Amino acid sequence: MLKPRQMSRVLVVGHKGILEGTVNALYKTNLFHIEDFIEDESGLKIGKPFGDVDTLSQKLIKIRSIATFLGIKDEACNTQKADAVMQKLNSTLDMLEKDVSSKTEKKVEIESKIKELESLRRDVLPFVGIPLNLDLYRGYESLAAFAGVIKGEVEAEISNITGSYELFSDPKSGSIVLFVPKAYADAVSKSLSGFGYRELKVPDVAGMPSDILSMVESQKESLLKQIESIDSDVIALKSKYLDFIQASNEMLSIETAKSEAPLRIATSESTFLIEGWVPSDSYRALEEEVTRATDGRAFVTQQEIEHKDEPNIPVEYDNPKIVRPLEEIMNLYARPRYKELDPTAIMFLSFPLFYGMILGDIGYALILFILALLVKKMVKSDAVKPIMNILIYCQISTAIFGILYGEFLGFPLASLEVHHGSEVIVQPGLIPGFSTINLFASPFGGEMITYPVHRTHLVMTLIVATALIGLIHINIGYVLGFINENRKHGFSAALLEKGSWLVIEIGILLCALGYANVLPSVMTYAGILIFLIGFVMLLKGEGIKGPVELPSLLSNSLSYTRIIAVGLSSIYIASTINNIVFEMMWPDSFGIMTVFAILVFIFGHALNTVLSIIAPGLHALRLQYVEFFGKFYEGGGRKYNPFGYIRKYTEEK
Amino acid sequence: MADVATATVLFDAAGMKAIGAGLAVGLTGLASAIAEKEIGTAAIGAMAENEALFGKGLILTVIPETIVIFGLVVALLIS
Repeated sequence: MLKPRQMSRVLVVGHKGILEGTVNALYKTNLFHIEDFIEDESGLKIGKPFGDVDTLSQKLIKIRSIATFLGIKDEACNTQKADAVMQKLNSTLDMLEKDVSSKTEKKVEIESKIKELESLRRDVLPFVGIPLNLDLYRGYESLAAFAGVIKGEVEAEISNITGSYELFSDPKSGSIVLFVPKAYADAVSKSLSGFGYRELKVPDVAGMPSDILSMVESQKESLLKQIESIDSDVIALKSKYLDFIQASNEMLSIETAKSEAPLRIATSESTFLIEGWVPSDSYRALEEEVTRATDGRAFVTQQEIEHKDEPNIPVEYDNPKIVRPLEEIMNLYARPRYKELDPTAIMFLSFPLFYGMILGDIGYALILFILALLVKKMVKSDAVKPIMNILIYCQISTAIFGILYGEFLGFPLASLEVHHGSEVIVQPGLIPGFSTINLFASPFGGEMITYPVHRTHLVMTLIVATALIGLIHINIGYVLGFINENRKHGFSAALLEKGSWLVIEIGILLCALGYANVLPSVMTYAGILIFLIGFVMLLKGEGIKGPVELPSLLSNSLSYTRIIAVGLSSIYIASTINNIVFEMMWPDSFGIMTVFAILVFIFGHALNTVLSIIAPGLHALRLQYVEFFGKFYEGGGRKYNPFGYIRKYTEEK
Repeated sequence: MADVATATVLFDAAGMKAIGAGLAVGLTGLASAIAEKEIGTAAIGAMAENEALFGKGLILTVIPETIVIFGLVVALLIS
């Protein structure tokens, strides 16, 4: 906790003859983070891959493209024996490839046929209203044929030009077909253009348009059926070979990774040298495994970590299981550096705390809690699970604050007396007989602190309270920053850069208390003096950047007032929905309006539920990332990525 | 004279407070929106290049949010 896992720098050296055995042993332990070797002047070269990598990777590409075509991605299936898969790999792969590629080709062919049919249909459609064989549209020596769309009546105009014509028209679509002697073609064409004539392409087929249309439809239907049958074949193929494909994909990936490993390793003529990182507590296990696999012929040793190596040390979180989901939030920002504090455990407390303080509603907490549980049950994805766990943590905190605030879906649980001048109005609560208890007067805004805490009536007090919480949170950040800086650059740098802020704060506090006559007034001057000392320290520690940042002390802590501000907006949305439903829409007797009101209630609260994930989540996250992390966190550590794999679909022997 | 009377009713202290509170939230909301618009587009552009920048992009995008929060706090203080 609070510190990434401790790493050891490990060197494995041996004769090239045992390289493959060593690599297999390292792979099996799944602990060793290989430091890729880059060729330099030392004379060492990168190694040559084992076996026939090209064939292996070709097979891998084939199996992956088949998996893509069949739509297989990480699905649960039975594990297979690695040997059995290996034996039938070649034959099954060939068979599958042939099958899949023929299916793909056929599907593409059918799809292009369907496209052709559709374009024919588009072309024929304008002629449907004209009962004329499409063959009759062309092939005349002395006749000119016009086929197109026009606007208006054209017949009178044509009969003025020539008496010998034949006109077919479809008033619905506005398409016409006109035959005139070729001699009049130019004159007719001119007069047609006066009617907005647009020529249509006559499809190159014979037959009555309506017959062609029905033929197109029936052909399309049979093609669609063929596609359907291919699709069902694909599904059958998928369910039959799901196990095999996933197992062989996994196995080939493992084999490729192993045989490509020498490309990351330094070799000389007859020796190899592997550098890398291992979690210190697992070093023994690694050493034992390698010694066992090579009969002690490989030399495994731990090396001292030099200061310049530090940015290269891979970082692995070291948190208790319950805190681990929060690592996702850390990764979203940046993984901590090796020597840095890992604030995941602090986030585990503060993130749900702020989320709960913002939302604080028993109703929404229950809805989201159940929702998160359901999603976690239904979706078996490794990416979704931690997010849902975080959501569950947040809802627990929301429920606790919901009890403190006494809110359920925007309704107050307890009744409250509100003084309006001399009038006293009692606002009813959801639980009859549960009335608000006055505890003590708040020092701000003349408000009374009560149980349950009615946020809408304690705005001033809560603004001050949240800003104070912010101040505490920020100061935790400064203390963590002090520790980080102390580790990295020593005590004096830490004191000047981070300690100065604490000194400045003490100065301001003393000054303010002295000014307000809480302390003797001489403390005002002492406060100013301490402030100035802090200021000079800051100037020395951070340079001119420090004083420029000084106002952030105020703006950062005021930024925490969003806890109450966003919370209030969520209450107001909820209570507005409740108002609309129960004050404005709810009828005296049961009827259609009742159903409508219930619908508004459900949809309104569904909307607010969605907002209840986004708004408090983002704001709580932002308080961590901007206000808190800004004080101490750098991040940017390398991910610990051990050489190895946890088999999911296959088992060895 | 009736007009003056209506005007006084409209512009009594409570009304002016409400207008002030509305302006405080509305104008700061606009300000945040304008600022976030530009940062958001740039952040999405950066994310398209490198998805790991999501965290940083999110932070930079929500920084101007503080403006509207201050507006909201001021509005609460007024009313």
